[in-house]
Order: sequence, then C-alpha cells, then structure tokens
Amino acid sequence: MSEWLVKGGYAVVSVTVAAVYGLLLSGIIARTLARSQGRIGVPVWQGFLDVFKHAAKRTAISHGVMFYLGPILRLTGGIGTLLFVPMLYGSAVFGNFHFAGDIILIIYFILFGALGMALGASEGGHPYSAIGIGRGLAQFAAFEVPFALAVISLAIQYDTLSVYQIVGAQQNGIASWTLVTNPLATIAAMISLLGSTGYSPFDIVGAPQEIPIGPRTEFQSDFISLMQLNRAIFAAAKLVLYMDLFFGGATNLLVLMVKTWAIYMVPVFVGAAFPRYRIDQSIRFFLRVPTLIGIAAVIFADFFFNAS
Amino acid sequence: MPNPLYIYVLSLGSAFLLTLFHRLDRSAASLVFLGTLAGSTLISALGLFHLMGGAASVEVLTAGFAPPLSINLRFGLQEAFLSLAVNLIGLLGGWYLLAQLREKAQALILFLMVFMGINGMIMTRDLFNLFVFIEITSIATYALIGLERDGRTLAAGFKYVMAGGLASSFYLIGTILAYHLTGTLNIDGMIEARGLLDNPLGAAALVFLIGAVVIELEPYPANGWALDVYQAAPCGIGAILSGGVATGALAALYKLLPLLQVGHLPVLVSLGLATFLFSNLLGLKQESTKRLLGYSSIAQLGLMIAAIAYLRQTGHEGLVPLVVGGLFINHLLAKAGLFWLAGVIQKEQWRDWSVLAGNPWLLLLFGTLVFALVGFPPFPGFWAKWELIMQLAAGGMYGWMAAILVGSLLEAVYLLRWLGKALRSETQEETQPGFSGLAQPAIFAILLYATGWYCAERVGEASLTSLLPLVTAAYLFVIDRLPIPSRIVGLVSLASVGVFSYQVLPGLSGLAWLFGLIFLPGGMLLIFAGLYREDVRQGFYPLLTGMVMSLGVLLQAQTSLGFFYAWELMTLSSYLLITLGKDAAEHALSYVIFSLASAYLILAGFALGYAGSGSELLTGLQASGSLAPAVLALLALGFVVKTGGFGFHIWLPGAYTESDDDFTAIISSIVSKAGIFGFLVAGIYLGDQSVGGLDIAYLVCWLGLLTAVFGALMAVLQEDAKRLLAYSSMGQVGYIVAGVAMMSHLGWVTAVYLSVNHFLFKGLLFLAIAGVIYRTGTRDMYRMGGMIGRMPITFFTSLIAIIAMSGVPPLSGFGGKWLLYNGLIEKHWYLQAALAFFSSALACLYMFRLLHSVFLGQPKLKHKDVKEAPWWLIAPQLVLVGVILVISLFPQYLVQPISSAVEPYYAATLHWAGNQVTTDIGHWNGFLTMSLVGSVFLLTLSWMLLSSTRVQRVKQFNIAFAAERPFTPETTHFAYNFYPYIEKSMGGLVRPRATRFWNGLSEWTHSLAATLRSLYTGQAQTYALLIVLYLILMVTLMGGV
Repeated sequence: MSEWLVKGGYAVVSVTVAAVYGLLLSGIIARTLARSQGRIGVPVWQGFLDVFKHAAKRTAISHGVMFYLGPILRLTGGIGTLLFVPMLYGSAVFGNFHFAGDIILIIYFILFGALGMALGASEGGHPYSAIGIGRGLAQFAAFEVPFALAVISLAIQYDTLSVYQIVGAQQNGIASWTLVTNPLATIAAMISLLGSTGYSPFDIVGAPQEIPIGPRTEFQSDFISLMQLNRAIFAAAKLVLYMDLFFGGATNLLVLMVKTWAIYMVPVFVGAAFPRYRIDQSIRFFLRVPTLIGIAAVIFADFFFNAS
Repeated sequence: MPNPLYIYVLSLGSAFLLTLFHRLDRSAASLVFLGTLAGSTLISALGLFHLMGGAASVEVLTAGFAPPLSINLRFGLQEAFLSLAVNLIGLLGGWYLLAQLREKAQALILFLMVFMGINGMIMTRDLFNLFVFIEITSIATYALIGLERDGRTLAAGFKYVMAGGLASSFYLIGTILAYHLTGTLNIDGMIEARGLLDNPLGAAALVFLIGAVVIELEPYPANGWALDVYQAAPCGIGAILSGGVATGALAALYKLLPLLQVGHLPVLVSLGLATFLFSNLLGLKQESTKRLLGYSSIAQLGLMIAAIAYLRQTGHEGLVPLVVGGLFINHLLAKAGLFWLAGVIQKEQWRDWSVLAGNPWLLLLFGTLVFALVGFPPFPGFWAKWELIMQLAAGGMYGWMAAILVGSLLEAVYLLRWLGKALRSETQEETQPGFSGLAQPAIFAILLYATGWYCAERVGEASLTSLLPLVTAAYLFVIDRLPIPSRIVGLVSLASVGVFSYQVLPGLSGLAWLFGLIFLPGGMLLIFAGLYREDVRQGFYPLLTGMVMSLGVLLQAQTSLGFFYAWELMTLSSYLLITLGKDAAEHALSYVIFSLASAYLILAGFALGYAGSGSELLTGLQASGSLAPAVLALLALGFVVKTGGFGFHIWLPGAYTESDDDFTAIISSIVSKAGIFGFLVAGIYLGDQSVGGLDIAYLVCWLGLLTAVFGALMAVLQEDAKRLLAYSSMGQVGYIVAGVAMMSHLGWVTAVYLSVNHFLFKGLLFLAIAGVIYRTGTRDMYRMGGMIGRMPITFFTSLIAIIAMSGVPPLSGFGGKWLLYNGLIEKHWYLQAALAFFSSALACLYMFRLLHSVFLGQPKLKHKDVKEAPWWLIAPQLVLVGVILVISLFPQYLVQPISSAVEPYYAATLHWAGNQVTTDIGHWNGFLTMSLVGSVFLLTLSWMLLSSTRVQRVKQFNIAFAAERPFTPETTHFAYNFYPYIEKSMGGLVRPRATRFWNGLSEWTHSLAATLRSLYTGQAQTYALLIVLYLILMVTLMGGV
C-alpha cells in the first residue's frame, strides 16, 4: 500500500514537471514563431497565465452533464497517457506506470481523451463542434494507419510491444536509435505526428482563423483551463512517446527537454510553411504515401529482423 | 392379416353397386364410396401392422397356379407401406372432392378405379398385369381430369392421354420383346432369367420398358403435358396425380429396376437429377399456384428416381426405406396437402396468397407443408436428404451431390418466396377462407410431424433434447392463441428457456459451455427485454423460444447430423422471426436464401467428412484424410456466409434493420455466434488445411478483416440507426472470424473473448436503440437529437457500450483488441494487424455519430415529452453494463476460463501473474489501468467540484453562434450526411458491388429458367415429339453400356 502511495507521489511529480514543461514549450514555440513572422509575440510564460486566469473566473456556463465532464475526461486522457509512458529510462520518479500496459494500450488510450472531449463538445449543441469532431475523428483514423504500421515494424524489430523495453534497446548511443536502425518506421511515424499535432497542413480540425465558434468558444472558465492544461500535458506525453520509441529515450530531464523540443519543431516548421489541406485531401494524403512507407517499414523489419 | 385381394374385391364390387346406390340416394352412394376407400385403407393399415410385427408377406396367386401361368400379387412390407399411403390419399382425396364427385356416379366409380389401379401397380409382379393396371389408372385419371368440363381441363386431359398412350405403347413393345427373350411375364422370373436380356434386343426391351415408366414419371424435358395437367385440373385431382398416380409409377420403376445392368443405373440417376435441377430452376419463373406445385412434384419425383437408382447402384438397398421412403412420404403428404390447401384458398396466382396473413392456424398449416417440402427438420424429407447426400459423398459422386444441393436451394427460393407472400397481408382484403376442405391438409400436416419423428428415430437422432425446441414451440403456440396478455406468454417462454438452460448448461464443457452462456442465459436476458412490447406479435414467443433452445441443442451435438439438425431449426426459426418485422418480407427472403446456401455448404462439408472418415460423429472429422482440405474449405465458406462475411453480406443490413427491434438484438448478438461456434468446431477437428498451396485459414483471416473494414466504412455512411449498428455488427463479427482463422491459442481466446464482448455491447446497443425508437417513433438518427436529457439512463448504457466497443481502455473492449494484435503479430501476420487498426479507428467514427446524432446535439421540439425507455428494456441493459464493468476491472474472470477451454487444442501463450497478463511480446494489467484512470478521473472531477467557480446550466439555444440566433433544432442539429468527406475520400471503396453481383446472378438464373421454359409450347404435338426424343435419348445413353 505504501509502495503505491510512493508511486502515486512520483506520478504527481512527473505530471507536474510535464505540465510545466508543456506550458513553457508552447510559450516558447509561440514566441519563436512570432519572431519568425516579425512580431514580438507573447511572453513564454503565457500558458501559465492563461490557465490560471481561466481557472480563476467566477462563473462557468454548462450545457449538461457530458459537457461538464468533457474537459475532465480530456484531462484524464492526457494525464493517463502520460502516466503510461516512461518519461525517463531507469528513473523511479519519472518511470510512471509503464508496466500497466504496452504500446497498444497507449495508442488506444489516446482515444479516451478525444472521445470524452468529443462528447462534451457535442452536448454543447453547436453544429460546428460536431463538424470539427467528425473531421478530427476521420483524420485520426487516417493518420493512425502509418503510425500503426510503424509500431508494428518496431514490434518486429525489438520483439516486444513494451515501450520501456524499446527504450532500453536504444541505450547504446545514437547508432542504436530507431531513427538509424529503422528509418522507414521513423519517417512514417513523423508524418503521422504532423497529423496528430494538428498543425498545418492538417489543422482543418480546429481550423483556426476560419471557424471562430465551436468548442473553443463554448468552453470557458474552469473548462478551458483544464483543456489548456491538457494540451500541454498531452503534447508532452506524445512527444515523450515519440522520443522513447524512435529517438533513444532520455535518462535525464535536460536530454528529455532538448529532444522533445527538437521533435516538436518538426510539425511547427512544417506548419509554418504549408497551407491547409481540406479534410478529404488530408485523409487521402495519409492513406497513400505515408501508408506505403509504413508497409515498407513492416516488410523491411520482417526481412531484416525476423531472420531468426 | 387381411388378404389384399379384398381391396380389389371391395373396389370393384362398390363400383358396380354404386350406380344402383346413386340412383337411390346420393348420400348412400357417398357412404358406400367413402366406405370402400376407408376399407381399403384399413386393409393396408392392418397388413402393414402385421408385416411390421414380423408376419410373412402375402403372395396371391390367381387361380392357385404358379407363375408364369398365373398372375402374382405380392403384399410385402414395402407394398403395404405404399398401399397404405396411396389408400390414405385416396380416402382423404375422395372426402375432399366428395361434393364434386357425387354429382355423377361415373365420377365416384372412376375415382375408385384410379386407386384400385394404383394398388395393382404397387402389388403386381407380372409385367403385362402391370400394363393393365397402368391403363386402368390412366383412363380413370384422364376422365377425372376433365371433371370440370371446361376447355382447359379437357385439353389437359387429352395431353395426358396422349402422353400416357405413348408411354403405354413403349411399355407394350418392351413387354413383347422381353417376353420373347425370356419366355415369362413374371417379373421375378424375368429377373432370374436376366442373362437372356444381355443382347441388343434385350437392351432395346429394357429401354422401352424403363423408358415408358420413366416417362410416366414426368422427366424433364418431356413433361410439358404433366405441367399443363397440373395447372388445369382441379386441385383435388392434382393431389391425386402427384401423390397417388406417381406413386404407382414409382413402384413400377422400383420393381423393374433389378432387370437393368448396374452400368445402366447412373444414366437413370443423371436423368432423375437433371429433372430435379431443371424443374426447380423453371419453378422460379412460375406465377400460377398449381403449375408451381406441378414443377415441385416433378422435381421430387426426379429426385426419387435418382435416389432409387443410386442406392441400387451402390448396393445400399437397405437404405431405400429411409431415403426413398422418407422422400416419398414427405412429398406425398406435403404435396397433397398443398394442393388441397390451394383448392380451399382458390387463388390462381401464388402472389395473391396474402389472404392467409393474420390467420395463425392456417399459416401454421401452410408453413408446415412448405417447410416439409423445402427439407427443413423435423420432417422426413430432411432426414432422407441427409442420408442421400451422405451416400453420394461416400460414393465420390460430388457432381450429383452439387446438383441436388443447387436444386434444393432453387426449390427453397420459390417455395419460401410464396410463403413470404402469405405471411404478409398487403391488401385490406383478409377474407377468411371457408373451413371445409381444411381437415385433409391438416391431417397430412400432423402426419408429417409423426413420420418425421419416425424417421428421426430410425436415424438415431430422436432424443428428448432434440425434440424440446419443437415441443416448446408447440405449446407456446397454443398458449399464444389464448386471450391472455402477450407478456404472460413471454414470461412462460422465459421460464421454459430457464428450465432448459438448467438442464443443458451443466452438461456442457469447454468452448460449448462458454457459448452456452451467451446463448442460454444471454438469450433469457434478451427475451426479458423483449417484454417491453405489449402488443400482440403472432408467433413471436414460440419461435423465439424454439430458436434459443435449438441453439442449446446445437451446442450439445455429437454427430454431424445432430449439429445440422439444430442448425436448420435455428435457420428456420430465425427466418420466421425476421418476417415479423414490418417491411421485412424481401429481406427475410434474402436472409433465408443465404442461410440455406450456407447450410448446404456445411452439409456438403459434413458429407465429404463422412466420405473421408466413415464416421458420423463430429470428432470423426479428424480422420477425413485427403478430403480434409475440401471439408474445411466448405465448412469455412458456409460459416463465413452465415456470419455475413464480406462479399456474402448483402442480406445482413436488410435482415437486421427490418426485423423487430428486440429481435435484432438477439440475432446480432446471439445467432451470429452460432456460426462462430461452428467454425471453431471445424477448426478443432480439422485444424488448418491448405488447398492447392493456399492456406485456408490465411484467406479466411483476410476475409474477416476486410469484412471488419468494409463493415465499419459502410456503417459510417448510414442515416438509419439500426442499419448503422447492423453494419457495425458485420464488422465486429469479422474480427471474430479473423480470430478463429488465426488457429492459435491467442487467436481463439480473442475470438471467444470478442464473442462474449460483442454479445454484451451489441445486445446492449440494440436494446438501447430499441428504446429510443420505441419512444421517438423513428429510426433515422437525424430526426432525433438531445435524447440525453429525456433518456439519461439509455444514454449512460449506450455510452458504456460504445466505449467498450471502440476498444478504449479501461473498458473490456480493449482486452479484445490487445489479444487480437498480440495474436496477429505472434503469427507474423503484420499487414492484417494494420488493417485491424484501420478498421478499429474507423469504428470510432460511426460510434461517435450514433451518440451525437441521437443523444447529444440539439433536442427536437416534438420530442419534448419523450419519456425514458420502459423498465423491461432498461433493466437488462443495466445488467449488461454491470457485466462489462466487472470484466473490465477483472479481465481474468473472462480470459482465464476461455484460455483453459482453448488449452487442449493450442498450448497457452498467455501468462497470468495476479492481475497482469503477458504474452511473448506484450503486457497488460487491466485492474491497474482501470484504477489509474479511475483515480485520475476522480481527482480531476473533485478539483472541478471543489473549485469556487459557479457553474450555470443554460438553455439549448444559448450558444455562441456568431451574431446569429439559432432558429430551430432541425437547422442546428448537425446529423444528416455527417461524413461527406469520407464519401469523397473513401467512398469509392463502398459502392454496392456485391449487391450488383448477387442481383446479376439472380437475374441470370431467371433468364436461364425463362429460356429453358420455352420448350413448353402448350401444344400436344410438341410434347409428343419431346417424349419420343426423350426415349431416343435414353436409348443413346443406355445403349452404349
């Protein structure tokens, strides 16, 4: 029992670290992008300000039980995902609960938050929420395919589905990273990351500057503070997952932050450079070349690593 | 033991005396007439009783001399049976036609002569005497055909006499030649002297003899005259023709068959089967009731010819009573019954038979007769056909086997199409037909059940358990007719299934026990839910109880026959239950056609298994030897078709959607598992096989996953809630099929786990949607909306079901997905795993669509007063939710029993350590996951609840709508055409190609039938020509031997 309390305490620590880092990261990214566009941009601690400001509001408007629970489920999804991914390899504090399940659990649990949020926004009664969610789910179905293929390729390569063991196998320097040993899988997964982070060209889901209504306007106050918190934590969880699977994991926090920042830069830069796809274009995009790359990754892994 | 001669004495005596009685008093004449027929029947019955008790057969020698100087009549067991059957039909037929016959004494006399003649044909052992009796029968029949004295009947009678004349001429020529060669007219003597016929002249004699008898039996294509007769003659005469006169000809054939060389017999089999196949094919195009029955009669006769010839060819004469006797009595009782019923209904076209709808007793009668003809259990035709197919397979005659199965399927199509019309009343006219003339078909219907039971006993499958579904359905049917609320009947049916489960379930073990949990207690739960309907549904509870019990019988089956028996009972009852839906007629028909096709594939598989192993037991399939790949291929295809595999799925959406809402829950969550169970049984005993280098299981796995993808994709695009769930079922069962096809420990654990899960959440979802449809009155999702406020419990249960179905942790669906991927990767089937991922992601789309369109979004004004679903529906849903939650928290409670059930077949690759399960590559701890997620959720929730922010609930239109006010819910609730971009990006994948294929196949079959039908020009000259050509054909085929 006490062991679980200790673990719980460690979990709180790692979630807090991830939240702080996530909020900081979004601020850093926003300021960098602004500078590259010739603006000054928001301060790097804007994320914190937003969360606390919203949480401090006196009233909130709800459309029903699901609406109320939506952001809560979303945050649960984000924190849960983080807790299933080992943040630092070999660390007791930041090891999280990776022994609760393997990569399949994580892939499916990502859906938890999304579905919860979807149901919440849907009860809001706004038609644009429904449109956005539909697009989000369709795009999810599309970009999951190359990612699933990449994961299968990893499973063949490392003969395990456990994220912890995959990280463990990459601890022999850069040459042992999946990036180097299985580049096809990495490429397929990175393209999938573009879809999942929701930057251009795949930001049709939220469609900023286009749809000023929907979940972002319906949820306010406490709700939106949870959602913003989740954006930080969930983003951190995804980045840590990618780092663990493809880029050798991390054994200390500094390496973690540098690597996740680098990974995050990829969709940000792509997003800054490209315009937006329509939703059907985006679906078709993922089901063509990235899927082929994924299939190639599987065949490659089968050929190379299944020699036994 | 009465002397059979008295039959002739009685008939002739009465015939002579009838003229006198008729002049005196019509009623006296009728009495004498019926008395004679009754007397003949009694004599036959007593004779049969004595013979079955072991008495010796009676040999009647005229004038006391021995043959060949005298005429020999034999009254043995077979003759007694045939004679009883014929006299019974004569008695009932005479009673049926009494009103018409008694007008003229000649009619009464002729009727008596017909049956005397048939008795003679049955009993005589003399060739020329046989000719005499044939002539007596023909002339009397010809006269009776013209009973109504209008142009059509007289023309038909003429064609009959023309054909009969030709046949008789051929027969005489044959007799002359045979007598010349052998010197005797006695059949037994001729059989002894058969060697004398082994020359061209003898061959010619035989061809003429046999050819004449075969022509009397109306073979295709030389049977146009017979069809015209069936169509024109009054129904009572049609009954006698198809039941009585044909029996005589059949008896003649059976007697003469030993004269043929063994090499001639395959010719007869082929001719008989050609008649069977083509007559049933042509029956598809038929509109007239009587002509349709004529096609069916001809087909059955062809089948019987083939059966007799084949059994003699393979030396299995001992099976003749079961096979030919069974087919014969089945045909006689059902066909005569149908003709008599047709005479009462008086509708020229079978499409007008909807006058039967709403009259349960008449429907029971009609249904009994039709199902007996189609070959469903428990009727004799089922057992006979099974035995015949087994013998054909054992003899390696796969082509003939296929011909019989295809022909049976075609017959089922047109018969069930007809039944479907009768079950639905389309017109307002529901005149109840008069009751006179119904006693005779009713008696025959009862006899069908009795003879079916007798055949079952002979085959060895008549156990109490296998009888229970029928008995229960029978007494529930009777209770249903009483003026008590339908809920009482429902509770009685629930109790019956409960008692049955209590008896059957403890006796099962392993996989059968697990499936038994789904079928029996699960079935009870869903039957309970069905009590929410207080309106009367004719026949719902009897059929439902029968179906659930037959599933229980299926699990207990030890022999392939027992398995098939239960399978057909399930098909029959589920078909009838689907027809209860409002617009379900055509969908029920396509359901039953595909189900029968799958049943016949399974039958073929079992037959090949029997051929390979020689064993009737299911375990005997293991020893199928070189036939094992073919057995597995056939069984796998059959079960795939039954579960709605991709390409064979076109019946599924219609059947699920249009049946009653609570029945859809049952058919989707329970009945589909029967196919899975069957597939597992096939896998247990056959393992994996490959055909021509292609691994069957590998192909089936791909098929299953393609079904999953396309099912999900099609579900995404649906507007109708039930149709969406139907496609979803198709997809989920695709996963299960893929699981079984993995043929590994993980694969089968996945399959059974997913089966249980699918029952839980699909049953739940269909019940929830049933509640919503019941309250809102519509099935279209876009017409609903905002139901969360009105039906919160339903929303909660649907939510749990959908989260479970999507595979999102921590609920139980995730376990199934985890097992599936581990299994696929363990088998190195990587691309299949990716396909499964894709399908799983697609599933989220339609799940969200369902929840959003129905429960969330904007509520409509007209649904302001919608109440929560009735408690009959809610309670089972809550039970199912409870089970889902328990299994999610402690997956080992489900997985470990399944694992130990699969362990005997495949060694376990799952390892449990407390709450954690590991495979070679993966690990999962369900309890920990649930606890983690639960605690995080509770923490976040408490943070929200404790926060000082005041949360205010606002009205539905209080949304930020960009400076506009939402006008109506209809224009604000986004639900119609929810995924237009899916249609755009992936829509090309889901064009209705399979539907077009099957429609095309059906069109092509009909065109073929129409073309082949053009031989029947309606002119006697054509028919005469065809008869002569047919004889020439027989000469060609048989002369070569």
